[in-house]
Amino acid sequence: MPTMTVSGHQYSLDSRSVEAALHGALPEPIHEHFVVINGRRWPPKQVLALVTGLDRADFTTHHARRVLTRLGFTAGRAVTRGGRHPVIPAAAPPPPSAVSGMDERPALAAETLRPFIGLWVAVRGDEVLVAAPSPRQVVAWLAQHRQRAQSMFRVVDCEQDITGAAPQ
Amino acid sequence: MRFTFRALPAAGGGALTPRPVVDIALEGLQAAPIGCLLDTGALRTRMSAEMAPLAGIELSGDLTEQFYIAGVKTAGTMARVNLMVTDGTDEFSWDAPVWFCEPWPHPFGLAGLEGFLHHFLVTIHAYHGYLEIEPEPVHVEAGGRRN
Repeated sequence: MPTMTVSGHQYSLDSRSVEAALHGALPEPIHEHFVVINGRRWPPKQVLALVTGLDRADFTTHHARRVLTRLGFTAGRAVTRGGRHPVIPAAAPPPPSAVSGMDERPALAAETLRPFIGLWVAVRGDEVLVAAPSPRQVVAWLAQHRQRAQSMFRVVDCEQDITGAAPQ
Repeated sequence: MRFTFRALPAAGGGALTPRPVVDIALEGLQAAPIGCLLDTGALRTRMSAEMAPLAGIELSGDLTEQFYIAGVKTAGTMARVNLMVTDGTDEFSWDAPVWFCEPWPHPFGLAGLEGFLHHFLVTIHAYHGYLEIEPEPVHVEAGGRRN
């Protein structure tokens, strides 16, 4: 297990211990930098703080990125659309859209939702803002981070879960 | 106002057939509009009872009904609420009855005649995967006002 030094402390970390430390946590909004863990985008500083228990002020975003990329995670930088607002994604980059985007808003691709099957999601455009086991948690996250979603629903993966909604 | 059909992942790979879904916000829960399956055969507009407290809606229990949906016996409580749809540019809002149901195991709400379809001219372009709604002027005015 590789040994990393963060803010003068030494930690033995590997990808599994990082994934385990994130269990039960929800990714915070992405402002610029992110790392992809279990198909979701996380702010590097949030991840390293959860893994080490250190205060986020104890290390920089770039240090967190370096630590996490050394452990094998992919890091990225969110692109600002139109130069006005940062994008706030929670999902890994989607493949080409499954539905042609005829709306002015970008279409949400089915593959973007795959990591969240069974969870409630809040989405905006082609981004998943947050995914959680209950709508209450989703709404709480939106309020905490002052985010506004386009839609909230539970991700299902079989036709019967949708067609079964018709009253009988 | 246009809504692209909602695509969902299929268990075996690929995607399910995209469905007509409109995102309806409850007053008090504008930050999280609820995805509602457009159901032209449904009389009511229904959502999970879990949504009501999130929007600060108190269910008095004065008007309730029991019914079966997808083989599940459920109970709905009606509340008149202010609803809103937006595409980020235009915004329509209206007052309507919504039935908050418990249990509600479904991934979406249902947008039926009462509560939704009576208030809009809806054009479904299923082949192209989108639907368009225009408010019926008797019920809804653009810009967030309601009659």
